[in-house]
Amino acid sequence: MILFSILTPLEDLLRNILEWFHGTIGLPWAWAIVALTVVVRLLMVPLAVKQIHSMQAMQAHMPEMKAIQQRYKNDKQKRNEELMKFYRDNRVNPAAPCLPLLVQFPVFIALYLVLRQFSKHPPAGDLSWFGGLVPSIVEHANAHWSGYLLLAIYVGSQLASTYFMSTTMDKTQRTLMMILPVAFVPVIVNFPVGLVIYWVTTNLWTVGQGIVTRQLMPKPQPPPKRSSRTAPKSEPKSQDGAPSPSEAKPAAPAAPPRRVKRKKKRARR
Amino acid sequence: MTQIFRLPSYLGIGLVYAYRYTLGALFPGGCKYHPSCSQYAIDALREYGLVRGVILAGWRLLRCNPWSLGGVDYVHQQRFFR
Repeated sequence: MILFSILTPLEDLLRNILEWFHGTIGLPWAWAIVALTVVVRLLMVPLAVKQIHSMQAMQAHMPEMKAIQQRYKNDKQKRNEELMKFYRDNRVNPAAPCLPLLVQFPVFIALYLVLRQFSKHPPAGDLSWFGGLVPSIVEHANAHWSGYLLLAIYVGSQLASTYFMSTTMDKTQRTLMMILPVAFVPVIVNFPVGLVIYWVTTNLWTVGQGIVTRQLMPKPQPPPKRSSRTAPKSEPKSQDGAPSPSEAKPAAPAAPPRRVKRKKKRARR
Repeated sequence: MTQIFRLPSYLGIGLVYAYRYTLGALFPGGCKYHPSCSQYAIDALREYGLVRGVILAGWRLLRCNPWSLGGVDYVHQQRFFR
């Protein structure tokens, strides 16, 4: 309960934004929630840009990272440790930080509280779209088929966003993270429809951001100008010069066979 | 007797696990550090008890922001509590 009263200012803010979208702009309530979600995610875009930059910078270090993954492929603990060390040394880090994620939770809970308020004191205006925002999906689905549609979209969007976000996890964890949203469906059917609309929107935004990120990633060799930044470039060049000139990376001390492996891995990506 | 004193930290550890398999799964994300923030919280609660564990985990979360570099960071490397 203390937590809920801390959230009161945020609740009021969300309520005002929703009412503004509905009253001033004239959106139906459901679309007002979508618009609110977009506002929240737009505020987080600078963070995403920062992460994309970091991932781009990391692309130049791909061969070295593959080498580390190869070296410790049987030891998950050691592999993560070495990778993190490598990120730090090279001032790149592809992983999303935890803190922005936590910032989303209060918004989510506050929106839940706002919607609960709506059910007690229904606001003026048309609540008919999606059968009203307040009843749970299961109630809504019994009345109208779109409830099932929304649920299906939710599960799909959840899986897709997990797929895009969990690139840094290992396989077992990732599989678990893909199964859990499906396992939660019985719980989620009792959520207010409006909350699921928020959820679907934010997931789809994550997916869109993920696709844009992947588009921005250079798939082929990093541009040659990057190699000018690396100091020990002259040494590997003098050693094996011809085969792949643009790949003059500081990881050159690695043995030649490893280079072949790296190429295979990259091709598979 | 010591087990009784540890009960609060077990509560905290339980909460972290609950987070992991509910909200953590529904809002997918990563972590810049190794071990991840949730694992760090569990380790910190185990080693330092509820109050100091929560402080350490909170500080770690604040450091797991877009402007930090991330990296390897174990609980035993902390310098708050001796």
